[in-house]
Amino acid sequence: MTFLRRLGSVVWWLLNRNRAEQGLADELQAFIDLSAADKMRGGLPAAEARRLAVVELGGVEQAKERVRTYRHGSMLDELGRDVRYAFRIFVKNPGFTIIIVLTLALGIGANTAIFGMIDALMLRWLPVKNPQELVQVTFQAPGATTPPAESFSYVIVRALAEQRQIFSGVAGFSGFRFDVGSPASRVPGAIVTGRYYEALGLNPVVGRLLTREDDEPGASPVVVISYHYWERAFARSSDAVGQNVRMNGVPVRIVGVSPRGFVGANVGSTADLTIAVAAFPQVKPDAAPLLGPGNFWLRVLARPAPGVSRAQAAARLNAVWPQISEPLIAPHWPASRRKEMADSVFQLSPGGTGWTYLREVYRKPLFVLMAAVGLVLLIACANVASLLLARASARQREVAVRLAIGAGRGRIVRQLLIESTLLSLIGAAFGVGLAWVSGRFLVNMISAAPGRVVFDLTPNWHILGFTSAVAIATGVLFGVAPALQTTAAGPSLVLKEDARMSGSRSRLLPWLVSVQVALSLVLLAGAGLFVRTLRNLQNLDPGFKAEGVLLVDLEGRRTAVPDDFLDEIQRIPGVVSASVSTHTPLSGSVWSEPAVPAGQRIPERDNAYFVGAGPRFLSTMQLHLIAGRDFTNRDSADSPAVAIVNEAFAQRHFAKQNPVGQHLAANVRGNRTDLEIVGLVRNTNAAGLRKAPPPTVYVAYAQLTGDLPTALAIRATGRIGSVVSAIQQALQSKLPGTAIEVRPLSAQIEATIVQERMMATLATAFGLLALTLACIGLYGLLAYSVAQRTKEIGIRMALGAQGARVVTLVLKGGARLVLVGIALGLPAMWAASRWVESMLFGVTRTDPATIGGAIVLLMAAAQLAAYLPARRASRLDPLGALRHE
Amino acid sequence: MDKLDIPQGTLDLMILTILAREPMHGYGISQKLAALSHNNFQVNPGSLFPSLYRLEQDGKLKAEWRPSENNRNAKYYTLTPAGRRQLERHRERWDRISFAITSVLEGA
Repeated sequence: MTFLRRLGSVVWWLLNRNRAEQGLADELQAFIDLSAADKMRGGLPAAEARRLAVVELGGVEQAKERVRTYRHGSMLDELGRDVRYAFRIFVKNPGFTIIIVLTLALGIGANTAIFGMIDALMLRWLPVKNPQELVQVTFQAPGATTPPAESFSYVIVRALAEQRQIFSGVAGFSGFRFDVGSPASRVPGAIVTGRYYEALGLNPVVGRLLTREDDEPGASPVVVISYHYWERAFARSSDAVGQNVRMNGVPVRIVGVSPRGFVGANVGSTADLTIAVAAFPQVKPDAAPLLGPGNFWLRVLARPAPGVSRAQAAARLNAVWPQISEPLIAPHWPASRRKEMADSVFQLSPGGTGWTYLREVYRKPLFVLMAAVGLVLLIACANVASLLLARASARQREVAVRLAIGAGRGRIVRQLLIESTLLSLIGAAFGVGLAWVSGRFLVNMISAAPGRVVFDLTPNWHILGFTSAVAIATGVLFGVAPALQTTAAGPSLVLKEDARMSGSRSRLLPWLVSVQVALSLVLLAGAGLFVRTLRNLQNLDPGFKAEGVLLVDLEGRRTAVPDDFLDEIQRIPGVVSASVSTHTPLSGSVWSEPAVPAGQRIPERDNAYFVGAGPRFLSTMQLHLIAGRDFTNRDSADSPAVAIVNEAFAQRHFAKQNPVGQHLAANVRGNRTDLEIVGLVRNTNAAGLRKAPPPTVYVAYAQLTGDLPTALAIRATGRIGSVVSAIQQALQSKLPGTAIEVRPLSAQIEATIVQERMMATLATAFGLLALTLACIGLYGLLAYSVAQRTKEIGIRMALGAQGARVVTLVLKGGARLVLVGIALGLPAMWAASRWVESMLFGVTRTDPATIGGAIVLLMAAAQLAAYLPARRASRLDPLGALRHE
Repeated sequence: MDKLDIPQGTLDLMILTILAREPMHGYGISQKLAALSHNNFQVNPGSLFPSLYRLEQDGKLKAEWRPSENNRNAKYYTLTPAGRRQLERHRERWDRISFAITSVLEGA
């Protein structure tokens, strides 16, 4: 019979179950009536005829049951009975059930938690109209080996939006944190192009969303608030629309509320306030250059026009680009760069899941962690399988009885598999809870200042589906071997006086333990490598001393940072020194310019990092000055331009010469500048702890012109908390509309190794979990074998074996399993470590100390686990042991 | 008189044969089977009904409730075209089997 028909029959049975049962009862009744009537015609009294008729039928209920088993739909009835039976078994063995459920909850929970992160980061659709239609636009210079660029200039996004035969909508967006209210607090927001909401197909809850008109030059600034913000700040009052929000000190009118659940196209961050690009400079005047053709800062999602496929849209776009590119490329760019941009090729990738930089950073780590938790789950499965195998002997009698009274082997295997699947589903239910709780912890771990990561980790159907699939696969995986073994002996066993299976010890059990040990070794050694990586990065000397340094960002407030600002901060008790700079190390934002020794031709491409620094910057950062001097108050706009270079720059351009006193020719913010080198400083890992220190030129902050990013750097000692509040007070009175955030430089550095910290923490946690499970497995196996060998051990002791010898005997048995496991684990480790090699720092993937450490840890834990059963064996009373059984 | 066990796989054939003559209810089929087999076969209802249900589910029989000879409602089974085809196939097979067995026993 075909599967569909069978399924149809099951469905029919479900729907018509009562009618069918009634029909069957009626039919059997009719049979009895007819039969009794016949017998009465033959001369029997009515009661006797009836009784005979029922006997002939073989009992009404039995007859019904036999009919039912022939029905395909009865499958479900049996399933229900099996489930009830399984629950009775669980309740009868609570300890056993709890251990298994707990083991599985940990294994499945870890998988669910990591999958939840992968889901939130990569798999979830944006809550917009037909997200599967959206594409992300990227471009790549011809012959480039770097990944495609994701950011576009404002003018290009506007031009893309005009290509209506290609795209029905184009949305450009970027994140920004606004200073809102007074006293100001930072509220996350987004800057978007005019067709953003139209392209995403969203409708307002109240008022209207941004339109093309809001994104025209001269449009008055208006803001759309998120539903969440509407709820929080306005208690969902419809009066919110029309009110003004002070954003960076500028009043901006609220025009509408975006739909519930939508917090921007940037996954992992929330945009509570959204304004149009054209209005951005009115809120933040120094952002005006962002509207120019030279700034690439907008990520782009687009919806191809109806009937246009992704490939067609890409082809059309690349055909159109050469015709429209000319006016869109920055005229001040060097010719080679202009040509490169003009020759670039656009790519469209699926964009329905939004955009986030987190994907780039966490894709591989999360896949590595997914593999790790997969291994943990395998170890958990092996544990549960060995528990079930050990119990198989205890259940052999029960099963033999059932086989003897006529149950088919397939039927019993099915019953046992249902038991194991149920156990794993119960484990999964707890696991989902566990994952939900620990998910918060995971998100916090990847949340680094300044932008917090916001994920909704409420279990959704993705996660529940994944977990159920894992649970069922798990249940079958750990259930099959025990089920087959339990039923292998057949019914004959029940006839034996002693139905214990002394001879049929599973050969599978020792192997399971060895495999557990092997997998644990892989996880432990991997954890060791990640911990070493994190340590190496943390202990790395970045060239400056971050401890004790506080930072205050004053974006674009340069004109408002007179010297008395710093003087006032300098007077705060606990402040050692205060300085100012354009870029702080490892902030993620850098400034580069071309600079060469005077007399050489200035290259078209930037070749050095630039940092604008005020007086005392070097001493505040404890950046070691090798030669020359620090900047001073005398380096002002009226004095000759000066620079301090680092060793990397000096090495590259001055070889062994002393650079101090030499001159540089540089393009500083578009102006040809002659700089006199007045100092030489140590290298700093300003581009990232893993990267080589970049050649750097420090220029005097006071000699720079125009709007510049500005951060105060303050070295403090003593009670940092009170220093922080004093700084806040001092600055807040001078900058009323600005949110003053004082944060430690060390946190900024920590933020660059969040990924490594996550790997080290989670890999260690999973490694230890694996180790614990493997030790429980080893303990269980040895305890079981000691129990089985009670008689043998008793004889040995009766013949004079000392307790110590018995301990050695058991420990040796355990050690053999562990050694086999290590022998299996080493090549596995060697193969798996290739995959994570690129994530390591300062340690090779085959680092002998790390692997050796993992082996020692594993052996020590295993010996501990083996010692308990060994000691029990050595304390056996020989006489009692001999009488055992 | 001792009853014979119905050989495996032949119950369906006999049910189909009986129903090929006229529609009949379960009790009727069991009586008819006893009579036609000269009381050598007595079908146990516990075997008969599962067979009837299976044949019905496989589309070989269809059933309807209608009044029986003593005015009680009974479920009457009728052969469907598919049932008739199955009967022909099985009948042919059975003929060959019985011919073959008889031939062997008579040493032909």
